[in-house]
Amino acid sequence: MGALVLMALITCSTGVAAAQEIVVGITAWPSAKVSAYVIGQVLAERTGVTPVYVERGSVGLLTSIARGDIDVYPELWSPNLDAAVSRAGAAVTVSTRSVTGKQGICATRAAIDQTGIKAVSDLTNPDIAAAFDSDDDGRGELWIGDASWFSTQVERVRARSAGYDQTMQLLQAPEDMAMAAVDASVALAQPLVFYCYSPHHVFVLHDVVMLAEPAFDAAAWQLVAPAGDPDWLEHSRAETAWDVSSLSIAFATRLKTELPAVADILGRIQFEAEDIAGMSYVLQVERKSPEAAAHEWLAEHRARIDGWFE
Amino acid sequence: MSVGPSRRRLLELGLAGLAAGLIGAPAQAQAIYSQIYDAKRKKWIDYDPRRAQQYYAAYGSVPEEFKRQLVPFRTAEKPGTVIIDGDRHFLYLVQPEFQAIRYGIGVGRDGFGWAGIVAIGRMVEWPTWTPPPEMIARDPKSAQWANGMPGGPDNPLGARAMYLYEGGKDTIYRIHGTAEPWSIGLNISSGCIRLNNDDVTDLYSRVAVGAKVVVLMSGAALYRGV
Repeated sequence: MGALVLMALITCSTGVAAAQEIVVGITAWPSAKVSAYVIGQVLAERTGVTPVYVERGSVGLLTSIARGDIDVYPELWSPNLDAAVSRAGAAVTVSTRSVTGKQGICATRAAIDQTGIKAVSDLTNPDIAAAFDSDDDGRGELWIGDASWFSTQVERVRARSAGYDQTMQLLQAPEDMAMAAVDASVALAQPLVFYCYSPHHVFVLHDVVMLAEPAFDAAAWQLVAPAGDPDWLEHSRAETAWDVSSLSIAFATRLKTELPAVADILGRIQFEAEDIAGMSYVLQVERKSPEAAAHEWLAEHRARIDGWFE
Repeated sequence: MSVGPSRRRLLELGLAGLAAGLIGAPAQAQAIYSQIYDAKRKKWIDYDPRRAQQYYAAYGSVPEEFKRQLVPFRTAEKPGTVIIDGDRHFLYLVQPEFQAIRYGIGVGRDGFGWAGIVAIGRMVEWPTWTPPPEMIARDPKSAQWANGMPGGPDNPLGARAMYLYEGGKDTIYRIHGTAEPWSIGLNISSGCIRLNNDDVTDLYSRVAVGAKVVVLMSGAALYRGV
């Protein structure tokens, strides 16, 4: 059996010394914990390198790659980390293959069935907004994100620009509280709307739909930073949907010369949004370890993986 | 188009908040009513103290809605986590396989006034109850217990108490039993999160110190000023 494994490694190897270590960073984002192991395993299978995993925060991980301590960043969010990538300069290469991410306002199935809501702008309709009212003040409630998130500021701007800040109370709280509220609402078939982003396991766990909005238009967005202007909210506007986000693998540019086979593979890996949501789900909901979740994903997607390298 | 239920509850905001933030909530009056779900008519109906007492006198229990039961509950929270929906007067104890044990709860007349993620920091059987100074000022009869009322069937904390901690510190909020089992489903009397004594004993037997407790932002206007 051992000989067979060795044969397989030799067959798949593209010539990298077996003892070569590749340091894969792991961020706190659930799916990134799984995709890091998937990436590491694919590299091991195809080049014979030995993956080593190191946990880091997002910005710290980029800094470590620029410094030469870490080789791979499994899920780099853009535009969120664009500034940090710029600071890292030429030392970091971002794969051109990416997964599209979205953010906006979601509605539960009960919300759609009971109110007919289809678009975010429907929240400006007082009758529809009242369907989300939990305290009988005539206005609905809407979780817009964690207080520490950049997106939460933007959601305040978006609510003001669209006008549903007049019909909905905007709530900010940790995501666990918001997701538990979704769980409880679904359990009782109560209508709920909430800020959401994908890929995310909530789309696997529950029947929720992102509400329609006018397509992103940069000309309709002007964000003023709160730090520099006490009236930032009044001076900001965001009248359309968010621009799409993207998740990509990033890696140390030096790999292109030091380990070109590794760099080539990193540039070919192409996850899909449902992969990322599924990885998040397996980790968060099924409570499997990142290693086990990655092993399972690899076993189920052999054809897809082969397709990356054709 | 049907709209969601209107829930008139609570008199005023009283308690300081924990983690939840609220942006721009208006002040408004609230009535003391609660509601219960009528499964046959598929609608929420008003449930007030008088109705509750009549119901309990007639049937010897709270409405079916508030009885302990295993329900489907899809969540990413792990088994053993407690989720409290004060708006609906339910406490969920997450179980494996997307199920939860759902208990009926009562909350104080001030509702929760807070929401957040806390943990069970201490657990006590037949806890001693000490009336707060403002209660002694309001109700001279409670002064006899100023140094603590021993645990027992008349003790307002009931058979068990689970003390909620945040960051290792007591929040002053508790999940506890009650000497007034008919009050489950309502926002009346003082207290935090009340279960009837059978239920609080059952919950107590199933949770451990350190269990995560998520208190939802239900009744969001309760959090104004937080």
